[in-house]
Amino acid sequence: MAGFEFELSRNITIGQYLPTGSLVHRLDPRVKLLSFTILVIAMAICDTYVGNIIALAFAICLFYISRIPISYGLSGVKPAIPFILILAVLQLMFYNKVASGGTVLVDHGFILITSDSIRLVIVSALRFIEIIFLSSVLTLSTSTTQITHGIESLLRPLKYVKFPVHEFALIITIAIRFVPTFAMEMEKMMKAQASRGAEFGTGAWWRIIQRTKDVFPIIIPLFNVAMARAEDLVLAMEARCYTPGNERSIYTKYKAQNKDYIAILFCILFASLLLLFPFPY
Amino acid sequence: MSESAILEVNNLYHTYMEKTPLEYKALAGINLQVKKGECVAVIGHTGSGKSTLIQHFNGLMRPQRGEVLVDGQNLSDPKLDVKALRRKVGLVFQNPEDQIFEKLIGDDIAYGPLKMGLPLKEVRDRVKWAMELVGLSFEELKDRVTYALSGGQKRKVALAGVLALKPEILVLDEPTAGLDPFSRQELLDRIALLNKQEKMTVIFVSHNMEEVAYLAQRIYVLADGKNLIDGTPREIFGNTEILRRHHIAAPQTVEILAHLKQRGYSVDLKAFERESAAKEIVSILQPFRR
Amino acid sequence: MERGLTTRKIVIAGVLGAVAILLGVTRLGFIPVPTAAGNATIMHVPAIIGGVMQGPFVGLVIGLIFGVSSFLDATIPLFKDPLVAILPRLFIGVTAYFSYLSLKRVNEYAAIGVAGFIGAFTNTLLVLIMAVVRGYIAPGVAVTIAVTNGIPEAIVSVIITLAVVVAWKRLDHSGNKKSKISGEM
Repeated sequence: MAGFEFELSRNITIGQYLPTGSLVHRLDPRVKLLSFTILVIAMAICDTYVGNIIALAFAICLFYISRIPISYGLSGVKPAIPFILILAVLQLMFYNKVASGGTVLVDHGFILITSDSIRLVIVSALRFIEIIFLSSVLTLSTSTTQITHGIESLLRPLKYVKFPVHEFALIITIAIRFVPTFAMEMEKMMKAQASRGAEFGTGAWWRIIQRTKDVFPIIIPLFNVAMARAEDLVLAMEARCYTPGNERSIYTKYKAQNKDYIAILFCILFASLLLLFPFPY
Repeated sequence: MSESAILEVNNLYHTYMEKTPLEYKALAGINLQVKKGECVAVIGHTGSGKSTLIQHFNGLMRPQRGEVLVDGQNLSDPKLDVKALRRKVGLVFQNPEDQIFEKLIGDDIAYGPLKMGLPLKEVRDRVKWAMELVGLSFEELKDRVTYALSGGQKRKVALAGVLALKPEILVLDEPTAGLDPFSRQELLDRIALLNKQEKMTVIFVSHNMEEVAYLAQRIYVLADGKNLIDGTPREIFGNTEILRRHHIAAPQTVEILAHLKQRGYSVDLKAFERESAAKEIVSILQPFRR
Repeated sequence: MERGLTTRKIVIAGVLGAVAILLGVTRLGFIPVPTAAGNATIMHVPAIIGGVMQGPFVGLVIGLIFGVSSFLDATIPLFKDPLVAILPRLFIGVTAYFSYLSLKRVNEYAAIGVAGFIGAFTNTLLVLIMAVVRGYIAPGVAVTIAVTNGIPEAIVSVIITLAVVVAWKRLDHSGNKKSKISGEM
């Protein structure tokens, strides 16, 4: 077992932010989140070839507008290629045995390929790449603080139905804040237990209980450390008179500008195009 | 290679995230030799590479450049038996009590020996031996739950968990950090006992100079991933010049002697041990007595 | 359990959310046991634990955090669909909480164990239903996965939920239990 396997904390890229100062970076985070949601939903529903190719082209354009190298998006796609291929094979082999539709192209023993199953494979691959690209652009152009502020501000209307918006945003902030801390704790734990002779995945492979207990030396301390940190934080917050539900003043106020209105309008139009336009293929 | 060295580090380098913008050189050519039965302290500021260095001792990290030899065995050897190495070199991390995961104290300490596949009788003997070495009563505590223990006791349990592997070399990262003064002194005495009575080679990292003065026979001072100086406590603490230049605190005894010397009293700066320092102070008081 | 949001609920939801993200982005969230996928995931366990310990809202939020992180981190097209990756996850902690609540008075251990099972099975079942509805997999395949993946995963979940919750609630200080090395030799 070489050392690099333990280096968790240094390989986690969540909340990666690449400031380039582009137009996309300068957009109001609320607008970005809202547009992202609208576009993802539209992409998830759209199931035509042409629609998805247009959506992919749009996602690629976003990289250029936000001046983020497209390699960042591609690095998210690369590890997925084997999965896409396996899924494609599975879908081609099994899907249309049950659901019939489209014209039969190949029918040879096990294999039954129809125009519908091919469409499904290609469209879901395209959809996957689009959404990877879109979420890369969002997280690379928006810092995690901006994202949480944006979520909080977007959800504010929900206050009227008694949804605890501020508390919700605080939960998200705490979660993101503690990921690197726990990653380091976990790395330390893995090293410490390895120093005591821990091994993982020993025992016969069907012995589920044994194999699960093999991870106890890491999982149990991880939860313990998490709980200890939680208790400390509760104490610190209450010592500073934090009370859930109280009105709080905000020091980051977002004010939408013309470019924000244009951006969101454009995204809505684009999403409607994907959803409503009768693409021939 | 010197004949009696049980652990030897030659020109060791380690760089985190090599060839990325976040590249960080943790070790930049470290050399270190520890003889069998010695008690050696490694000191230096945060970020001086101490923790990275000690993780090389039991193969958690492999040398990128340079070499690490344990008992004559080169740790860069691809055929290295890592498990055997980790039994030989017991590594105790900072705040080791976090790693306790079993409900019962006896089970947690037995984890390592059980993983070695030893017969239950042998495991039991080892747990008993380890618990008594750290000052925990085997009969009384083996069936108790771990979470009911105090911080100092938990740390002893964690230490016993490593000792139960019967390592020849014991490596500790800040063994007393966060303990109360009483538990701290008790733990130090236990470590001293391991070194003297059980003839275990001890290497420890510390920020606390009183602790270093109390335990260490030899000291390595690291700075920026390189050796700064090394030598006996007398040599290191006597060298107030270099300590001050690198903002490394000396034990209080040395500080007092240094102040006295500054005011023109003739005292031996190397007399850092409490008794010797006391003698030095008494010696300058002699003229007043008459 | 007190109603409404307390500071403790907020913090525990956040902290367990962090654990859920961490289990997702590292290899540790997978346990190599026999399933169709070759391993069982335990990424949903923080949501179950949150639900059991702090109520349905906390369970729901942790499920949401887990869902969003698995959506953003997905390397399988199936989970790049928010309806499959996020929506089903909201219910993990909620069903776990209600199973715990209904059995708590009968037997605390059984209640925790059943919550672990139901929570995990909620995850498997709802994800598969969404996957079929969205046309990613055929119903027949889904049933096979539910059995081969769902059951081992639920067992793993029961073991971990029990171990963690029992330790936290300190239910287990019955003096009778002896250490493995305690017997006469």
